[in-house]
Amino acid sequence: MDDHPPSLCSASAHDISRRAFLSHSLAVGSGSLLGTTGAIHALDEDSVNAALKGTGKSVILLWLAGGPSQFETWDPKPGRSTGGPFAAIPTSVPGVHVSELMPKMARRMHKVTAIRSVNSRDAGHDTGAEMMLRGRKNEAALTYPDMGSILAKELGRADSRVPGYVSFYSQTEGRGSTRATPSFLGARYAPMILNDGLMPPNLARLSSITTEDHRERAQLRDLLSARFASNRNLETVRSHASAYARVHGLMSSESMFDIEQEPQWIRDRYGPSLFGQQALMARRMAEAGVPFIRVARAWWDSHGQNFETHQEMVPELDHVMATLMDDLEQRGMLESTLVIAMGEFGRTPAINPSLGRDHFAAAWSVAMFGTGLQQGAVYGTTDADGQTVTEGEVGAGEIFATVLAAVGVDPEKEYHVGSRPVPLVNPGIKPIRPLLA
Amino acid sequence: MKFTELKRSARKEILFSVAEDEGGALCVGTSEGKVVRTDPSGVDPDAVFQGEAHASYVTGLARAGSMLISGSYDRHLVWWDGAGSRQLFRKSAHDKWIRKVTVSPDGKTVATVADDMVCRLWDAGTGTLKAELRGHEPETPDHYPSMLFTCAFNPAGDLLATADKVGRIIVWNAATGAIAKSMDSPGMYTWDPIQRRHSIGGVRSLAFSPDGRTLVAGGIGKIGNIDHLAGNARLEVFDWASAKSLAVIETGQVKGLVNRMAFHPGGKWLLGAGGDNKGLHLLVNCGTWKLELEEPCAFHVHDFVLSPTADRYTAVGHQGICVQTIA
Repeated sequence: MDDHPPSLCSASAHDISRRAFLSHSLAVGSGSLLGTTGAIHALDEDSVNAALKGTGKSVILLWLAGGPSQFETWDPKPGRSTGGPFAAIPTSVPGVHVSELMPKMARRMHKVTAIRSVNSRDAGHDTGAEMMLRGRKNEAALTYPDMGSILAKELGRADSRVPGYVSFYSQTEGRGSTRATPSFLGARYAPMILNDGLMPPNLARLSSITTEDHRERAQLRDLLSARFASNRNLETVRSHASAYARVHGLMSSESMFDIEQEPQWIRDRYGPSLFGQQALMARRMAEAGVPFIRVARAWWDSHGQNFETHQEMVPELDHVMATLMDDLEQRGMLESTLVIAMGEFGRTPAINPSLGRDHFAAAWSVAMFGTGLQQGAVYGTTDADGQTVTEGEVGAGEIFATVLAAVGVDPEKEYHVGSRPVPLVNPGIKPIRPLLA
Repeated sequence: MKFTELKRSARKEILFSVAEDEGGALCVGTSEGKVVRTDPSGVDPDAVFQGEAHASYVTGLARAGSMLISGSYDRHLVWWDGAGSRQLFRKSAHDKWIRKVTVSPDGKTVATVADDMVCRLWDAGTGTLKAELRGHEPETPDHYPSMLFTCAFNPAGDLLATADKVGRIIVWNAATGAIAKSMDSPGMYTWDPIQRRHSIGGVRSLAFSPDGRTLVAGGIGKIGNIDHLAGNARLEVFDWASAKSLAVIETGQVKGLVNRMAFHPGGKWLLGAGGDNKGLHLLVNCGTWKLELEEPCAFHVHDFVLSPTADRYTAVGHQGICVQTIA
């Protein structure tokens, strides 16, 4: 919107079924959800869309909600009192070791970009998630759009019939603290939220209406709308028409949401877990042109029995990440898709009396693979006990900027909220250049 | 009845297992992979057993005659000369974490359980594998790795019970390896399908009553927030021969896992200990199967040894050792 400055809008994330999406869109179009600072016309985007060029790139965020342990994943410290009971195993990158819980990713480490030196300075679930998903803290008077909304806007195609941003978050814990918001970008870039099941409810055409009836109804509506709009130059009318067009687009992309269309052997590859099936859906969506898909896997908050929790959950993560990597590579999509695995923070070096690890933001890890990144790169170091970053310290802003740069979005680009320029990342924040291809 | 703390010493490591050597000295298995002879008062210096240390937490320790046998998350068993405090031999024993090591009442057989979901029986003197007991499912019903936490011989030594994460309990004929009975304690499986989609419970301890008729499983009950071990400690009492549940006992004041249990030799009470972020210990009246005592204790207890006279026990756990009297 840098060329079409919008005003501040407080639109929040929301579930969008076909009907809910329609009713919400109409409400936004009529201004009922807008703040008092002015109209944003979130769905009156034709002029904006015309300026957009789809990049063909997608980002899949594996959101590890609750905060997994860096010790039990990407930055093991075996033999130290803080290291826990797991061994470290060598990887396909000489000299680099990961937790023994990740043998599949260890064999694929030469395609991974791991950052072991994240100091995000915020060990609260809500505020930490905000930091990692927006790259910075909100201001009192300004809520920043999250990564998904920005990338939906920057990577999306004007004529796309698929959503720009889809979010899976099936567990309930932590869902509220990571509620995605497009903020001033408007509802056009709000996520389609799929918390229950893999397909939006009410997406399919009613069985009582034939395809021909459906088409004729749409034609009649278009005719009446055009006649109504012919002598009215109203934002609300245009939003109304735009909303209907997007709903028709969603309905026509029903097959994208239908996992049954995947061969059984591919479904089996991803495994029986909900996380695996949602990761497969994410691949389907990336393949269909959805720019940003978040697959949340909650809940890693292992204050009690950290090691058993990770023994249970890391092998699933290892399997899903490895399968997703292989699948994307075999389809030639690794050159156009970026996959990120991170949570809102890591876990403490200290092991508490419940054999748990608590929240820790001072020295933890994020992993990525795919487009725009150096492969087999491990960035940054922590001390022998994992207490502090010793080299290459980066924060949430640098991670955010690196993601943008990796998919070809200039982190220094500015939007405008009213007359105020709002850069995509805070001034002075740079991508981690050594990690960019 | 009451517990009274006699002495306590702080440790920098986590102590996961404990046994007394032939002379009655306390030996512990540590988070540093060591087996250590130690003074529970913390006055005399430790004597670290000599030989290749384990590569991970020492989670099982038991005595067979003059030898101690340790088991670890590193999947190995080590036989130690108790008096000489030196290693005799070591064996690669399991494919995943070893959770428990116990010795039959006659001292001839070592039983081990691990997260490969196999119970193995070993000749206590030679370390020769005698039998493998397979019957616990490797995956939970929710498709995650299961864990085989514990095992216990009956007083006669002809039966061995094993128990896992989902609450399945199997009683085996120790001589033939046949399943004598199986039963379930589903309340021990804390899978949360909605909020957090994982679990941290399971049956953590087993004990046969002195008459061998009753088998008690210890663990944790329903947990509202499985980020923590914030559920009531839970015991389920079975008439194992009929697989009939006789009682379910839950704490009301203290919370956490019951990691270790032992019966009074006369069958008057059952002692249990464990904890969450704090320690817990409890006594159950074996006539009524009601809690007689439930109290916090010094630290989260991972293991204990009960004195032959059952008037005190020595607990080890999170960075501590303590001796408690029971009177």
